[in-house]
Amino acid sequence: MQASKEEYFIPDGSYWPIVGSIGMASMLGGFASSLHDNSLGTGIMVLGFGLIIFMVFGWMGQVVHESEQGIYNKQVDRSFRMGMGWFIFSEVMFFAAFFGALWYARNLSVPWLGGSSNNAFTNTVLWPEFKSVWPLLQMPDAANFTVPKAIIHAWEIPAINTLCLLLSGATLTWAHWALLNNNRKQIIVGLIATIALGVIFLSLQVAEYAEAYQHLDLKLSSGIYGSTFFMLTGFHGLHVTLGTIMLIVILMRVLRGHFNPDNHFGFEGVAWYWHFVDVVWLGLFIFVYWL
Amino acid sequence: MKYVILLFFVFIIYSLGSALFYMMKDGDGSKRMVKALTMRVGFSIGLFLLLLFAFWMGWIKPTGVA
Repeated sequence: MQASKEEYFIPDGSYWPIVGSIGMASMLGGFASSLHDNSLGTGIMVLGFGLIIFMVFGWMGQVVHESEQGIYNKQVDRSFRMGMGWFIFSEVMFFAAFFGALWYARNLSVPWLGGSSNNAFTNTVLWPEFKSVWPLLQMPDAANFTVPKAIIHAWEIPAINTLCLLLSGATLTWAHWALLNNNRKQIIVGLIATIALGVIFLSLQVAEYAEAYQHLDLKLSSGIYGSTFFMLTGFHGLHVTLGTIMLIVILMRVLRGHFNPDNHFGFEGVAWYWHFVDVVWLGLFIFVYWL
Repeated sequence: MKYVILLFFVFIIYSLGSALFYMMKDGDGSKRMVKALTMRVGFSIGLFLLLLFAFWMGWIKPTGVA
């Protein structure tokens, strides 16, 4: 009986999962060894990381190739969408944990140290001089932390960066409409503009960190404000970096003639990811710099 | 003012969430996802302009400036 394309899709055997497993084991093993002052540890960790990058590009490249050959059916398409859904779920949980930590510190633990709610004795006995004020520039135990001179003002680099990401959301949506209308030139211009705005965002973020470290003494070691600030904005920056790399890959694919109005899940997935990263930044801008 | 800002943010999360839902559910030919994302961008720009206006009017102040 002739097998139809809508029947269960079974891919060919692949060595990429093994490469990925060796990469992950080497990276984690190398990291653990480096913590034990093993001289080879860092080298093994970097090698493992390199193997993972090699695996990601190799495996994804194979999937792109198979997709362009037209051998995938609707079942495979659904599996990609489900995979993307679970990936997004993990990302939402990741950022929820950091935003949750910020909320807990601002609204509960720091006020408790200042004597709020039924914690008057906590303040009197532990830190009688401490007043709970956010951002926490006067720490109860200042000797053990880097006390910042000031924090970064919302209307300086953060506002320009917000504008960059908002514009990048608009240019990407413009490219997305172009894809649905099969206007190749507009897709390319929209993607290039989005990538450029992402790079400008990252460059300004580096400048902001340099300013914070060199002039404001606002560091990762600056108590709970510094920790939450750098963890949230740092991991967000890492996501913008990954998003920019993914957009560059999508641009390369568009230049090679990939995607059409009826087959472009790769574009959709990356576009949604970029919008998600954009919204996380808006959340940061509101909750870290404003409210 | 704080609640108006939060309301805008809820609209943004809702439109982003519906875009995800449409991406998961619809095929590639559908325009529901891109429409939801366009709304997301619109709300976000609206929120940024609202923050600008509220700051200019003196209704809100950035963290640490109060």
